[in-house]
Amino acid sequence: MGVKLLLDKANVPGIRTYEVYRREGGYRSVEKALKEMTTDAIVEEVKKSGLRGRGGAGFPTGMKWSFIAKPEGVPRHLVCNADESEPGTFKDRYLMEFLPHLLIEGLIVSSFALGSNDTYIYIRGEYAWITDILEQAIDEAKANGWLGKNILGTGFDCNIHVQRGAGAYICGEETALIESLEGNRGNPRIKPPFPAIQGVWMRPTVVNNVETLAAVVPIINMGGEEYAKIGVGKSTGTKLISACGNINKPGVYEIDMTITVEEFIYSDEYCGGIKDGKKLKACIPGGSSVPILPANLLLTTAKGEPRYMNNESLSDGGFATGSMLGSGGFIVLDEDQCIVKNTYTLARFYRHESCGQCSPCREGTGWMEKILQKIETGKGEMSDIDLLWDIQRKIEGNTICPLGDAAAWPVAAAIRHFRDEFEWHVNNPELSQTSNFGLQHYADPIHVPA
Amino acid sequence: MATTFNDIQMTEFKRLVARYPEGKQKSALLPALHLAQDSFGGWLSTETMDYVASLLTIEPIEVYEVATFYSMYNLKPVGKFVFEVCQTGPCMVSGSDNIIDYIKKTLDIKLGETTKDGMFTLKLVECLGACGYAPMMQVGKIYKEHLTKEKVDGIIAEYKAQAANN
Repeated sequence: MGVKLLLDKANVPGIRTYEVYRREGGYRSVEKALKEMTTDAIVEEVKKSGLRGRGGAGFPTGMKWSFIAKPEGVPRHLVCNADESEPGTFKDRYLMEFLPHLLIEGLIVSSFALGSNDTYIYIRGEYAWITDILEQAIDEAKANGWLGKNILGTGFDCNIHVQRGAGAYICGEETALIESLEGNRGNPRIKPPFPAIQGVWMRPTVVNNVETLAAVVPIINMGGEEYAKIGVGKSTGTKLISACGNINKPGVYEIDMTITVEEFIYSDEYCGGIKDGKKLKACIPGGSSVPILPANLLLTTAKGEPRYMNNESLSDGGFATGSMLGSGGFIVLDEDQCIVKNTYTLARFYRHESCGQCSPCREGTGWMEKILQKIETGKGEMSDIDLLWDIQRKIEGNTICPLGDAAAWPVAAAIRHFRDEFEWHVNNPELSQTSNFGLQHYADPIHVPA
Repeated sequence: MATTFNDIQMTEFKRLVARYPEGKQKSALLPALHLAQDSFGGWLSTETMDYVASLLTIEPIEVYEVATFYSMYNLKPVGKFVFEVCQTGPCMVSGSDNIIDYIKKTLDIKLGETTKDGMFTLKLVECLGACGYAPMMQVGKIYKEHLTKEKVDGIIAEYKAQAANN
């Protein structure tokens, strides 16, 4: 049983209410931070903890905080990114739904550290019922003196507001989120200026993911150095992984990043193995944008070493043979799944979600979707596979925001590792409509569940 | 349908606007459009959008460009209950295709259509963050997860009963 810092109390009955959360030791970090620490000391603890952004990019949180500009007389804002929309990812939803006060507690401490008197949670529009849960938690916290004016007699004022989005993946990108928070279309901004200098309403702004801000609570409680001892290398602390697809136990798991991918998939403590006794074919380990890996490269690196559930190990080998930890959206595909079809649904997703600002992304995602649909429905030609490869290369790195890369990578990885499955579709236009390419050589023969 | 918020809706509208700094009332646009859509029949007519623009003292075009960008705003009338079924990768590998086909057959409608009695609309949507509980659909504020054919039958019956009681 690994260490749990965020979900340790998730199963306590009534933990969603203020009374139970407080009785279980909640809001201690606010008392400690506001009464005993300076804002600089809090930023320093977060730096020491090695905490890296949990939304997917993995940028060091303490460093991000230290960039915030502090011009005289200009309000600063902390914005919590709860726009969780990366396919395969549903960890923030779990955290907010079952432990809303943990997020509120992390937000108060972080708001204090950054000097944000009005903090916003931007939540994806579809999570409407979670908006209600969060607003209730905010009301409870306010009624008990943790929010509002002069918190704990320290002179610090803070209010937290929840704003619902309205259905747009792009708003998870921080500058698109800021545009949306201002009541505009979610078109990402050109950086610089970075949000830390000019963010929402052109004021200095820090945007952090839900899980990142919740992790501030254990960091303050236990100290940054203790937190950094958990995990391995630059992957400090714990990470929430949302596991889905063809596994026995889909759900949200907190891991300490020292376990192997094999243990995560096959252990009963986590995914519990592949559903219906089938074999593992492939996996997208960090949300739909990260490269898909065939089973053999997922469980071991190209060098034959076991792969671990952390940033460094999952990305070992670069994109040639590795992937990324990303958002922690862990999508498992069994032997019956068609890689072409899976890639097609993801390409359709990115075409749907492209904001349309940059031509390579707006046009390229549409082309990729059409070509993949063509191959999937048995109308593909061999040259289409090369054309797909060409298009994804022309999107990657040529757009204002990372959505272009996010759309290109899944297509590139699918062709890189599963080219023969694409060719099989082209060569077998009729057969491919009624049967699957299957496992072929993709499973590692050693790792067949008993 | 009158396009004016009643007292309760207006109180909520004012609460939304008050969350933002003075002069930045446009920031309330997304929540205000949600409120308007919920208040005026589940969709945003031009009249409704113009009304929201006047309340926020912004140009109507500023409202149109936002309303057309985000997928949750309906720009034409929809049924009383909208089934928004997820079709993205994780739901697809968990069998969402079968669920979509079954709903189409059971309600006898195509994608994007509304049943003749105006009760149900079927839409396909992209990932709603319920991948571990797939296949799934959203109906209003509610997520319906771990869908099976039997469960779909139950959901349709549930909403029909709900409509009959109102």
